[in-house]
Amino acid sequence: MDIRRILAVTRKETREISRDPVTIWVSLLMPLVMLFLFGYAITLDVEDVPFGVWDEDRSPESRRLIDAFAQSGYFELVHSISGERELDEALERGVVKLALVIPASFGRNLARGRPSAVQVIVDGTFSNTAQIVAGYADAIVQEASPPARPLLRPELRVWYNPEMRSVNYVVPGLFGVILLAFPPLLTALGVVREKESGSIQQIFASPLTSAEFIAGKLLPYGLIAFVQVLLVVGFGLTWFEVPFRGDLGLLFAISLIYVFCTVGLGLLVSTLTDKQVVAMLLALVLTLMPSFLFSGFLFPIFTMPYTLQLYAAAFPGQYFVETSRDIVMKGAGLREVWVNAGALLAYTFAIFWLAAWRFRKKVA
Amino acid sequence: MGRRFGSLLVKETIQFCRDRAMLALILFLYTAEVVMCTVALTFDVKHVALAIVDQDGSPRSRELVERFTVVQEFRAVGRPATEAEAGRWLQSGRAAMALVIPRGFARRLSRNEAAPVQLLLDGTNSNTAAIARGYALGILGEFEAERAARLGHAVRMVRVERRIWYNQSLSFASFMVLSMIALASMMIGVIQPAASIVREKEAGTIEQLMVTPISVAELFVAKTLPTLVMCLLAVFPSLLVAHAFDVPMRGGLGTFLALTGLFLVSAISLGVLIASVTRTLQQALLVSFFGLFPLLFLSGTMVPVESMPDALQVASQVSPLRHYMEVILGVFLKGSGFEDLWRQALALFVIGAVLFASAVIAFRR
Repeated sequence: MDIRRILAVTRKETREISRDPVTIWVSLLMPLVMLFLFGYAITLDVEDVPFGVWDEDRSPESRRLIDAFAQSGYFELVHSISGERELDEALERGVVKLALVIPASFGRNLARGRPSAVQVIVDGTFSNTAQIVAGYADAIVQEASPPARPLLRPELRVWYNPEMRSVNYVVPGLFGVILLAFPPLLTALGVVREKESGSIQQIFASPLTSAEFIAGKLLPYGLIAFVQVLLVVGFGLTWFEVPFRGDLGLLFAISLIYVFCTVGLGLLVSTLTDKQVVAMLLALVLTLMPSFLFSGFLFPIFTMPYTLQLYAAAFPGQYFVETSRDIVMKGAGLREVWVNAGALLAYTFAIFWLAAWRFRKKVA
Repeated sequence: MGRRFGSLLVKETIQFCRDRAMLALILFLYTAEVVMCTVALTFDVKHVALAIVDQDGSPRSRELVERFTVVQEFRAVGRPATEAEAGRWLQSGRAAMALVIPRGFARRLSRNEAAPVQLLLDGTNSNTAAIARGYALGILGEFEAERAARLGHAVRMVRVERRIWYNQSLSFASFMVLSMIALASMMIGVIQPAASIVREKEAGTIEQLMVTPISVAELFVAKTLPTLVMCLLAVFPSLLVAHAFDVPMRGGLGTFLALTGLFLVSAISLGVLIASVTRTLQQALLVSFFGLFPLLFLSGTMVPVESMPDALQVASQVSPLRHYMEVILGVFLKGSGFEDLWRQALALFVIGAVLFASAVIAFRR
């Protein structure tokens, strides 16, 4: 390894990248666009759920219950229902997601100190929201009804994310997804371009070793990727007001490993094909889709079937997403995250070894 | 003119069918992808890692613990000795929830006093946490109600009868199957026509077509009709997949196919539009990728549109996929017909018409 030769490759690559302003803008802006789109759009928080009421009772008690729903912040009264047909229609059209049915005897029963019942009908199309909505409805009804004699007193404490905002969870995960979306694609296209145009033959004819070539290519793309990290982490934490509990230095140190890992994946993809289109599709299948769907970013891994958990473990996204969340949300230190960080490091070395090996085979 | 158009259509159809990779991709997206994502991706919460701290150690407390360990929503991972240790388990991720039953639990219960029970919950994943909390409170509520029934008094003054409509078993699978079918239609509908037109541009054969007496309109229709037919046919294997996952088909097949066709017109027009403004295959792929990506995930395919901020909800109105998602969920899960879905149909029609018109204009140039 000769440091001068590596720098020469880096200089050449940097010059080529700087001549292509479109690529630079895309690589710096797209991550931010994704951050904002997904930071806002991917939320499973439930608020202002449109609900309808079929009040057969029309007593002060029933009105108090309806008010409790409307003022909870979770529900918004949009429809007053009278009759079975109207109820069916409102739910079917999706005008309301929840219907509260209060029977005629409701107020009278309560006034006499007798237990009563109300019906809560929830649109179950999106099962997850339905469950949360039904839970809130339960809680509101209990809160609004006169106290009875409880036998249990549950004390609930939610740690790390007490307000249960999903953006606190989404943003630290997005760091991992965005970094797996762009650097590999950029790197792969950068190398395959030389293959397509044939200029790679000149490299092979020079005294440059494959390790030096890879290292030289790595530096500029690694730098771009690291700037992306800074932008995404900076904007993500400040704009979305995600509370940061851990050590920023540790997060950046592990991000650096991850950056090399993603760029290495791009290099590996570039050794598999000679065509830019194929390189792009491969980058999508090997990096973007798994990072979005199988990294635990949105869909928790522990609920997947075992074989698909193994599939998820074959991609680096999972390790970084977990580490990033542990550091940002739980304030975890190296002692807690070393398993994932170590896995990431080992993964990165394996990727580079594979890329260099595939590359050398081509030369011979 | 009919013959000219016919022969062009035959050529396009042959070309379409010869593209093995594309056909394989279509079949893959409509079946394997649907299956894989449906099996793996779910927001349903099962097997939440639960740490149990039973400081009471009485038959009563064991009864409560057992209620948590027998259901599949929770998976007992161990019994830390103290609450502080349970906290450390939460910190290291070994457990996601801890149930702490303090000393004196049974004694208080027997005296009919309210006995405290603690639940510590890892809130990092707010969604999982909210659902796990619901399960836990449900189990506590059952325990309480059964005990109250034995004592002969009510614990709650108002009982909530909960009914879930359209998806009684509350499985995410039916949503995911339908969502992936819609995604597949969108991707193929946009990428296939875009790639097929740009390829002719790159190869230069489009010039040859331009000098023939074939009109632009004929060329346009011939280019897009095979995709439309293919995408409609590709829906059928997906219907089998949906059937295999026990997704009910409550509405009419005719309604579904008609509205799918209407949706595909928008998707295909978008593809032609992309092909008209790009020059190389790579550009076309990049543009459709960056254009599709937000469109795919912001249309209620992964997370419901209702929980997005208002501005994005308004913006999502222009996405044909958003309206199509409502159609496909409505037809399958709710059994909606045209009379319920006319709004979505109208929206699809308007979006389709606008996209189609701009595609024809851009294509003519």
